[in-house]
Amino acid sequence: MADTALATRATGASDRAVPRRGGSRLSWFGMPVLLAVILGATYLWVGSLELDTIERRTLNAEQLTRSTLEHLHMTAVSTAIVIVLAIPLGVLLSRPFARPVVPAVLGVANIGQGVPSFGLITIVILWTSLGFWPMIIGLVACSMLPILRNTMVGLEQVDRTAVKASRGMGMSPLQVLLRVELPLAFPVMIAGIRTALIINVGTATLGTFFGQGGLGFIVYNGITLNRTPVLITGVVLVSALALLVDYLAGALGRLLAPRGL
Amino acid sequence: MTFTEYLTRNYDNLLELGLEHLNLVLISMGIALVVGLPLGIVAHRNKLLRNPILSTAGFFLTLPSLALFAIFIPVFGIGAPPAVAALSLYALLPIVSNTATGLASVSPAVVKASQGMGMTGYQRLLRVELPLAWPVILTGIRVSTQVVVGIAAIAALVGGPGLGTEIFRGLRSQGNASAPNLVYGGTLGVIVLALLLDAAFVLIRRLTISRGIR
Repeated sequence: MADTALATRATGASDRAVPRRGGSRLSWFGMPVLLAVILGATYLWVGSLELDTIERRTLNAEQLTRSTLEHLHMTAVSTAIVIVLAIPLGVLLSRPFARPVVPAVLGVANIGQGVPSFGLITIVILWTSLGFWPMIIGLVACSMLPILRNTMVGLEQVDRTAVKASRGMGMSPLQVLLRVELPLAFPVMIAGIRTALIINVGTATLGTFFGQGGLGFIVYNGITLNRTPVLITGVVLVSALALLVDYLAGALGRLLAPRGL
Repeated sequence: MTFTEYLTRNYDNLLELGLEHLNLVLISMGIALVVGLPLGIVAHRNKLLRNPILSTAGFFLTLPSLALFAIFIPVFGIGAPPAVAALSLYALLPIVSNTATGLASVSPAVVKASQGMGMTGYQRLLRVELPLAWPVILTGIRVSTQVVVGIAAIAALVGGPGLGTEIFRGLRSQGNASAPNLVYGGTLGVIVLALLLDAAFVLIRRLTISRGIR
């Protein structure tokens, strides 16, 4: 899975396409402009071609819209579920009473990194059936680790003295968690969520092999029908979607970040 | 057929697919190293190029893997070459960013001292900076390798070689009694390969990290 490298990137210092708050205009608008140019150029190029009937069967507004919506649906549902599951679990595992099980969880998580997403989803499908929800379970399983790990790491690196100080001010453990630890862990946690989002956009591309459509359908049609315009359209659409989602998640993370950080 | 029976009967086949998979990973990593190490050095030395280089490498990692595999099919045709091209690009970011980070973490005092000893820029890089940055760079290479081993399973979907073909075969024969075995076999093979490569890195670490900083 790509999550280790993505996590390296997400926590890395300066490779952002997304600007810091108050960053220059270029850094705020660079990615949307780039995407608009690439999508526009593809549209003009495909529009200028004489499409044969096979190509037209895939390259029409209806099919492209449907595939994009299917893709977004898979991505949104799986990411929402993984956030709801992994963040509370990460918080629980970072509490003192969970300390004995943490090494075991991290060990399983490390082996989990080596599991290929394609194999994992196929196994889930074999155990259940072809369908939307089995696909979602597969996606959730693939993107669980980065959010879980980043929540744990984020909470772990919170300055102990800050926690002690808030306890000293009379806050209850729950208040400390909600008002001190979670806000301080926010940047690392949001990086994990962003990573999970990218994994889900990318892995949802495999949905077509499990009867779930998505933009992978366009790409794979382009390959099997040996039609380059179809292939390029699919690749451009799914890549633009991934980059846009990544950009939006990054921008949102910066806007929502606690002011003091 | 139970999974153990499948394993004993298809041992040869799985081993061969595993070697194909390993081959795919090693070739892609080789290309990524030849391209990534110099890019990392440039990113460290040239502040202007640093961000463009790192964001370009990060850009590839954001793209869905199937898309990156597919885009090279019009260029190279179906099979191993588009897979190698895509995997090399995926492997780039951890190598480049860790090379730049590792070099940046070398103490300026040490760099000054080597200048004082009359080393040229090239000597300084090869004999002082790179050996000191090597543990960080090696971690990047290791992360890249893990990523590539997993994603290489998708190569099968674009007609490439490797353990992914076994998973894909199982998927296509879904409903068949032997289908789960094929999928388990392919998936397990990838996990085992990932663990073996990780173990290899422990050895490489011991052998290649300069004795003074071990």
